[in-house]
Amino acid sequence: MDIELSAEDIAFREDVRGFFKENRMEKGEDYFSWRNDWFAKAKEKGGWDVPKWPEKFGGPGWTPTQHYIWEQETAVENVPFDIPFGLGMLAPIVMGYGNEEQQERFLPDIRARKVNWCQGYSEPGAGSDLANLKTKAVLSEDGTYYTVNGSKMWTTLAHVADWIFCLVRTDDSGIKQKGITFLLFPMKQEGIEIKPIITLGGAHTVNTVHFTDVKVPVENRIGEEGKGWTYAKGLLEHERTGLAGLSRSLVALDKLKESAKSVVRGNGNLMDDSSYKAKIAELEIDIMATEFTELRSLASASAGGELGPESSILKLKGTEIKQRIEKLTVEASGIYSSAWSDKPVGLPFAKGGTQGYLNSRYFTIYGGASEVQKDIVAKKVLGLTKRS
Amino acid sequence: MNFELSEEQKMIQQSVERFVKDNYDLTTRIKLSADENGYSVEYWNSMAELGWLGLPFGESDGGFGGNQIDTLIVMEQFGRGLVLEPYLASVIMGGGAIKRGGSDALKAEILPKLIEGKRQLSFAYAEPQSRFDLDDVVTSARKEGDSFVLNGHKSMVQNAESANQIIVVARTSGGQVDQQGITLFLVDADSTGLTKENFPTVDGLRASEITLENVLVSEERVIGSVNEGFEILQAVANDAILALSAEAVGAMEVLYKDTVDYTQQREQFDHALSEFQVLQHRMVDMFMEYEQCKSMLFRATMEVVQDPKAAQKTIHGLKHLIGKAGIFVGENAVQLHGGMGVTEELRVGHFFKRLLVIDSMFGNSDFHLEKFTTY
Repeated sequence: MDIELSAEDIAFREDVRGFFKENRMEKGEDYFSWRNDWFAKAKEKGGWDVPKWPEKFGGPGWTPTQHYIWEQETAVENVPFDIPFGLGMLAPIVMGYGNEEQQERFLPDIRARKVNWCQGYSEPGAGSDLANLKTKAVLSEDGTYYTVNGSKMWTTLAHVADWIFCLVRTDDSGIKQKGITFLLFPMKQEGIEIKPIITLGGAHTVNTVHFTDVKVPVENRIGEEGKGWTYAKGLLEHERTGLAGLSRSLVALDKLKESAKSVVRGNGNLMDDSSYKAKIAELEIDIMATEFTELRSLASASAGGELGPESSILKLKGTEIKQRIEKLTVEASGIYSSAWSDKPVGLPFAKGGTQGYLNSRYFTIYGGASEVQKDIVAKKVLGLTKRS
Repeated sequence: MNFELSEEQKMIQQSVERFVKDNYDLTTRIKLSADENGYSVEYWNSMAELGWLGLPFGESDGGFGGNQIDTLIVMEQFGRGLVLEPYLASVIMGGGAIKRGGSDALKAEILPKLIEGKRQLSFAYAEPQSRFDLDDVVTSARKEGDSFVLNGHKSMVQNAESANQIIVVARTSGGQVDQQGITLFLVDADSTGLTKENFPTVDGLRASEITLENVLVSEERVIGSVNEGFEILQAVANDAILALSAEAVGAMEVLYKDTVDYTQQREQFDHALSEFQVLQHRMVDMFMEYEQCKSMLFRATMEVVQDPKAAQKTIHGLKHLIGKAGIFVGENAVQLHGGMGVTEELRVGHFFKRLLVIDSMFGNSDFHLEKFTTY
């Protein structure tokens, strides 16, 4: 056991830092042209534009430690923004279960960030119990297209999406996990109606999407009819065992400490307040522990491919940590936490009052609520069965 | 960066694991704890023969040249059986002080015998007023010719009852809470003027209150330099915290796994307790606390091996987490075992008691949280 990075890993880190430094956005540079350029150069580095993709599909084939270094470095550097739906969520399913024609058709555009994707999973009656979904797809008599009817809910960025990957029900005769099919179709077409849902933080990120007789050709079906649940579930589990975003949380914590130091209290500042300071310290200790849980998880993944039990707690801990940072930011803002504004009021960091905190509440709800995650740990790790 | 144990370390782990499994069922432990020594002399000799007592000492001192990762491996397995033998007090604390500050003559006199299992040590650092502050030392050592005269009271001294020698932390200069002016002395347990009041601790181990009245100690028995003992004291305390934390991690593993087993067997309301979601989630919380403690233990230990001074903040974080999580896991193991959990018959209560004691040693959870905030 040792904590030191190998010479190769240190060289890799230098390479990453050098790349970031060379490709920083210049003052006055147009964001989107910089972004395109950045990804093009990252691609030339050997798949750095798609770090998590397997080598076979153009990814860099990094070791777990290299992924960890990449995450640490991207946390402290201004890198172009990416939406995870196409790159991180759909692409692995297309690679794993799509046919060659589909891989050639969809993956290059995803990689080039040309097409915005959204995810059509949750429904009004299917949240944590995702398999309960009711959106119906009926195959035409000639077997060439499906007709989709129903509603999706909490669809993130549906209002800016070009395409959707969608779980639909093609058979309701058996258990609910069976008879689910995975379809891809364009969002800008007749029969699709999008209604915004405004969340507590005042943001329009999620939507309700209604489908009325939307026609989807069969060649847009991934894998077999009725097997969509298996494809989606594999990915959800992959998501749960990924990185927990600890590097970013550490950076956010440092910022929070600086913010708290700027809040004057008597002759000192908020970081002299013993109860506030204690909460910050407890949070920092939890981040330090979770960072190593993440490293242990990466190490077991690289050793044998099988993820150790410790990996199952990363989503639970990672999301809770992010929420605590938001909560302590609100506490630091004091009376200014009630100001609702797009610009900082009173204190430079108190932007939007409690908006960030309110938006953070969904961290423990989406992608399987924390309680569902605990059910999964209970079953998979502790081997416990539920009351029937 | 890697988390793999070496082949040698894997062998140690397996051999300690087997030893604990074969020798430390609850009945045996209760019997040994009540014995004259409070542990098994036979087991202690076996540990010496297996080489475990020499693990953290350099080859020039007759040891195996291991580090804190090796003692982590041993202590984690010891924690799974609540081992009574004084590995922490004698090898890690007592031996740890001598290997760091002992003169060549002292090392040659003590360490080979310690490693052979023929010598026992104890480490007397706390005092009635000091609570958890290592630098709060009132016990005085006054120079007189070639000797020092020690007077004072040392508290909760682990393994003093069996020790041949006690390392006494005393003040040779400075004010009550100055780090400068602290000196470590190797004192024979049967010295004139040294009296011990022995008693059992909550976890079935032994400790003593020690009174020193004009105890004469030769200047050759000073460990480290006069007035400069704090650095050694801090290093020994850090090693002890790592060892206790490894033991706690082993104990927590037993507690969460025992709870999972028990709730699967115990039926109420026509169902196994383990089928109730509220209990499942509690057990998931226990499991997570265990894993987080293990992660922090690895982190702190690896950091100490790399650079002990830079690791101080992480050590405070570790002991905070171990104290808090240990009590959480212990209380909930007892709770989920129901009435049986509060009896002496099941082992969970015994593990819980050990975790309570671990929190109180070398600073509890709150103490280390406060220390953590100073970095």
